[in-house]
Amino acid sequence: MVPAFALFELGLHVWQTHSAATDDDWAAAKAEVAKRAKPDDLVAFAPRWVDPIGREKLGKDLATVEREAYPDVSRFPRAVEVSIRGKHLEDLEGWAASDTAHFGEVTVTTYQNPTPIKLLDDLVNHVGRPDMHVYDVDGAAEHACAFAETAPQTGSLGFGPAVPGARYSCTSGSFVGASVLPDLDYRARRCLYAPPSAHGTLRIRFDAVSFGRALHGHHAISVEAERNGTGVPVTLVFRSGAINLGRVVHRDGEGWKPFELDTSELAGKTAELVVDISSPGGDRRQYCFEADTR
Amino acid sequence: MSEMGETEKSEKEKSESEKAPSSASRSDAASVGDTGSGSGSEAPSSASRSDAASAGDAGSFFELPKEIGGIDHVIGIGIGAIYVTWLVRTARSLGFARDEGFYFHAASDYARWFEMLFRAPAEAMQRQNIDASWATNHEHPALMKSLFALSFMYLHEKWKLFDDASTAFRFPGMVMGGVALWVTYLFGARAFSRRAGVIGAVLLGLMPRVFYHAHLACFDVPIMAMWVACIYVYWRSLQEGGFAWALASGVMYGLTLETKHNAWILPAVFIPHAIMVALKSRSASPRGRISFPSSLLAMATIGPLVFYWLWPWLWNDTLPRLQEYVNFHMNHEYYNIEFLHRNYFGPPSPKAYAPVMVAATVPAITLILYATGTLERLRALVRRFVPRPGEPASLSLADQPRDRALTDVLLFLSFCAPLAVFFLPKTPIFGGTKHWLPAYPFLAIFAGRGFDRVAAAMHRAMPQLRTAAQRFGAELALGTLIVMAPFAVTQHSHPFGLSAYVPIVGGTAGGADLGLCRQFWGFTTESVEPYFEKNAPPNARVFIHDTAWDSWYRMTAEKRIRPDLQAVGSPGEAQIGLLHHELHMNEVDFQEWAAFETTAPDWVLAHDGVPIVSVYRRK
Repeated sequence: MVPAFALFELGLHVWQTHSAATDDDWAAAKAEVAKRAKPDDLVAFAPRWVDPIGREKLGKDLATVEREAYPDVSRFPRAVEVSIRGKHLEDLEGWAASDTAHFGEVTVTTYQNPTPIKLLDDLVNHVGRPDMHVYDVDGAAEHACAFAETAPQTGSLGFGPAVPGARYSCTSGSFVGASVLPDLDYRARRCLYAPPSAHGTLRIRFDAVSFGRALHGHHAISVEAERNGTGVPVTLVFRSGAINLGRVVHRDGEGWKPFELDTSELAGKTAELVVDISSPGGDRRQYCFEADTR
Repeated sequence: MSEMGETEKSEKEKSESEKAPSSASRSDAASVGDTGSGSGSEAPSSASRSDAASAGDAGSFFELPKEIGGIDHVIGIGIGAIYVTWLVRTARSLGFARDEGFYFHAASDYARWFEMLFRAPAEAMQRQNIDASWATNHEHPALMKSLFALSFMYLHEKWKLFDDASTAFRFPGMVMGGVALWVTYLFGARAFSRRAGVIGAVLLGLMPRVFYHAHLACFDVPIMAMWVACIYVYWRSLQEGGFAWALASGVMYGLTLETKHNAWILPAVFIPHAIMVALKSRSASPRGRISFPSSLLAMATIGPLVFYWLWPWLWNDTLPRLQEYVNFHMNHEYYNIEFLHRNYFGPPSPKAYAPVMVAATVPAITLILYATGTLERLRALVRRFVPRPGEPASLSLADQPRDRALTDVLLFLSFCAPLAVFFLPKTPIFGGTKHWLPAYPFLAIFAGRGFDRVAAAMHRAMPQLRTAAQRFGAELALGTLIVMAPFAVTQHSHPFGLSAYVPIVGGTAGGADLGLCRQFWGFTTESVEPYFEKNAPPNARVFIHDTAWDSWYRMTAEKRIRPDLQAVGSPGEAQIGLLHHELHMNEVDFQEWAAFETTAPDWVLAHDGVPIVSVYRRK
């Protein structure tokens, strides 16, 4: 038995070290994905650890930030999954596979969302548009935060999300811009990076949002700032004109926390949306949120 | 009934059996595992005993003297030397780990002090000169860093034996790897058989993590070597008695303390063992006197003196500095490490960590042999404490006059103590497997013992092997078969030793599937050199991510990486950005997406299809 196991282990090793997907496998898979994927589709890699190679091989036009750092999969009508080793993304559990093709060690499968929704608007996409405005609010006074496009600011471990180059910069030191947050599970989440100051409210006004029946979103604090569970909560208040849509609170340890507010009153209308972000303390509140209307 | 085997034989019995090469005495002289089928509960038949005996040393090394002695040092040193040669020959392709950068720096400072000591001893002994050098990296004791410094001074600077300063810095650590194999061989040979010693030593060297760490100018393989060497000397002191062995035990413990703080755990091996030895000696003594091993006293007295004497930083303000040293390790910060898809960065540490990581990083055949050897020794040990009804009273611990060193107890304690710490909730796990390497020589010795059992079974199954040469050839073939997978896995793991996992969990990709640590210390940067060579513009600024600055400078100074490249500390400043893949480093990956305006790396360094380093490039 022991000599047989010795040979078995050797055989496993030889097999495992010769079964990685080749460049040709990936090139063929890329061509297939380019053919299948529509702009609204998710393109994702399984297992998640192969994501860097998937991004390298498929390129940024297929592996876009929106696909890599999605808030959840509900917004996608279909998903094109590129997988190795027979793995499947947990996020796509319950989705029906409609088409599978094998390219050596790489498999491309199209999945259909069992409960597709119609996405009407995405707040993150408003950054830099004329209809989005950011203010520092001190009491009743609103101080506009100027929009500018400069180079993003980055650091190394512990810096938090990149401070986006395209951002609204406030005199209080706060800012708002689209960035990618590492959530409590170290997953990428594209969102509005809006760290509140300790002395006031950060306000974002969207002049023209297309409303549906719900405002669906998530919020979180960058993992290194949230994981110790010692920070103060961050509160988000949504209103449209005189209508208070709701208030959500994020506390450390809650991670990428979903929320959904009823906007039935505004369904079918294009209206203003005001978001107030506040926190009793500003220490490492690397806060980020996203929301869409549906 | 030869239940206890060679280790339990009195020296007198041993020498008698060694002098009488009759078949009967050969049978008696057979090693512990030659007691038959494995249950140990019944006396083996004369046929099986004869088989077993001939499967022992006499059959394996038919030309060697029976007594373990000088020739065994030649064998052990030979195994160690081959290993060190392998390490030296593969050193240039392994980048520098974070901690190596710090120790290169410290060793360079210490080298300046040694130069002063040799040139102007009185000046070197002045406090300001001691502190100027030895304050550097004083969170670890001085032995290995002093050896790194002396190796650098002589093997690189003076005698030019090594072209790379780094290889000279690393060489003492590699030699310690060789020493670990040498002592493991001796321990296994003396405790069980030469065959067990050889297989144990080889399997120790063929653990991918041991092979990786054995390259480094760090302390983890040195403390493994000193741990097993210290225990070996203590064991010999119990067997031989006398002042010289006791003194050697004291010195060895001092050197072990001076290597790394894992030595603080050694009393958890020695004290319970010494108590059991004392109880045994009392029961064997006509007057019931308790006699503690003198080596224990030597370790308690000489050990701290050696520790103090070899660490110049302690020569001034001794107690506050000692306190600082102890406090540093008792309150060590936690670093990030992934385990089963979760990033741990503080207590409590998962209790499954050590067992899972051992299973995922030590070749399975080694673990199977370990289990085989361990079960047999455990069974024997239990029966010494709890003899079965009707068995001779001499099998009980109290009445067992042989093996006064209680070898099995010592081996189990030595294996368990380094691992037991990792079942405590507050023990950080950031070092991966390296922090329990001291357990591995004992795992390997038990594996060697397991090989004894397998070899004995082979001989029973193949009675047609009649001559010693035939038997030796069969054992050689079996041994070769056993070590093939560990050798292939270890060789293939280089230079990604921290990313590699064993075939039974799916190899490197299996480790990634399980959510186990991909790497730490940023040493894989050197493996990106082919990309730099082809793609980096002249004088390009490179974000070096997790690589320590000292490590980067050493790699460029030795032209392991293009020397014109400039290291920078953030992706935003860089033309080329590196990302060492670890779960908690995803944050930096996402920053690089912003800095380089793309999610797509220009190139991904992979091992068996698993991402190790992503390289982003500004276009």
